[in-house]
Amino acid sequence: MAVMRMGYMHVKVTDLAEAKDHYANTVGLYQTLEQDGKVYYKGWDEWDHHSVVIEEGGIGFVRCGFKAERPEDIADIETKALAMGYPVERMAAGENAEVGDGITVTLPSGHRIDFYSSMTAWGLEVGTHNPDSFPRHMVGIGAPRLDHALLWVGDVAGTEKFFTDCVGMWATERVQTSLDDDAHTIATWLTIGESNHDIALLEAPENKIHHFAFEMRGWSDILHAADIMAMDDVPIDIGPTRHGITRGTTIYFFDPSGNRNETFSGGYRCFRDRPTVVWTPDQLGKAIFYHQRELNERFLTVAT
Amino acid sequence: MPRLTVASDDVEVDVNEGETILEALYRNGYAYRIGCRRGGCAICKVDLVEGEVEYNRTVAEEVLSKQEKAEGICLSCRAVPVGDVTIALREENLRRVASLLAFFQKA
Repeated sequence: MAVMRMGYMHVKVTDLAEAKDHYANTVGLYQTLEQDGKVYYKGWDEWDHHSVVIEEGGIGFVRCGFKAERPEDIADIETKALAMGYPVERMAAGENAEVGDGITVTLPSGHRIDFYSSMTAWGLEVGTHNPDSFPRHMVGIGAPRLDHALLWVGDVAGTEKFFTDCVGMWATERVQTSLDDDAHTIATWLTIGESNHDIALLEAPENKIHHFAFEMRGWSDILHAADIMAMDDVPIDIGPTRHGITRGTTIYFFDPSGNRNETFSGGYRCFRDRPTVVWTPDQLGKAIFYHQRELNERFLTVAT
Repeated sequence: MPRLTVASDDVEVDVNEGETILEALYRNGYAYRIGCRRGGCAICKVDLVEGEVEYNRTVAEEVLSKQEKAEGICLSCRAVPVGDVTIALREENLRRVASLLAFFQKA
């Protein structure tokens, strides 16, 4: 079940020109393709064709894709998903531009999750031969790579089971109603083993996307990102600050359509045998906003 | 310069050329429940009691539908008053977070 990472995030944007300006000039992604009302971007430290797809018309989640090492890994996920009763469709090569064959699993929440094993190679901005440490002419925030997303779903525990039982992920942290074993799961952070989390799920009455995140290189990059947001008049939801959950440092901000982005850095090494961290609702302020220790008006209410 | 009246709070502020309802209120030191400030999350809806607004940027149909617009619901982060307008907040009141701002701008 060798899924490696969240390979791409595809969202709708209301105004393509404004969104292009945001993702290229503010976030600092590189455009690799514009076709059929969609624009494709990659971060400077990514080697595949794209990690972010924006499409004009509406707002919010369209689909996201996880990259697996080999076609056999996808076949394995397909077998398990079908056995568990999830709707699985075959995804033909080219259905998503520059993406090879794969499958699409539709979660109970309606979110479409693709699994693929090949994407057109593009190359790292710094190359792989005697490379420098970052691109000489980084733009804006200079986001190196897509890291994860948090989805709003109706049934967190049930949806988590897909990712653990079919994909081989495990939970690094959860928010539960209590510390008891039979507590109800309100939110969960799931990893395949590299990032602190590749996908997270939060219980909500609507099936939406809460945010998708770019991994930054450290706290000073987070501060730099906030300065760029000030220069580019980007609304900040919160930050720069630290999350209690994952210990990562963060800024939540909004793209011109209202989709929430995050610049995230840190976390801790995840091993399968690390005990899962548990948070309770009375400490949710500390869990999300570790320094302020109180929620703002937007975190639990705004999603697209 | 149009006047924006908030009926639920008996507050009146000036609106600059091209300014949204949200911008006018915040510039005068008031706050209320807002979200992304970019027309995507639908949190900042208010009711248009009197007057007209226009939208200079695309607002997604799923955020504010034609039906809602016809019913006088407006997205305060994107709605620009055309002439004097009166709005009512929904189930909340304005917060006075920086009362000196209004004073500074009158001077």
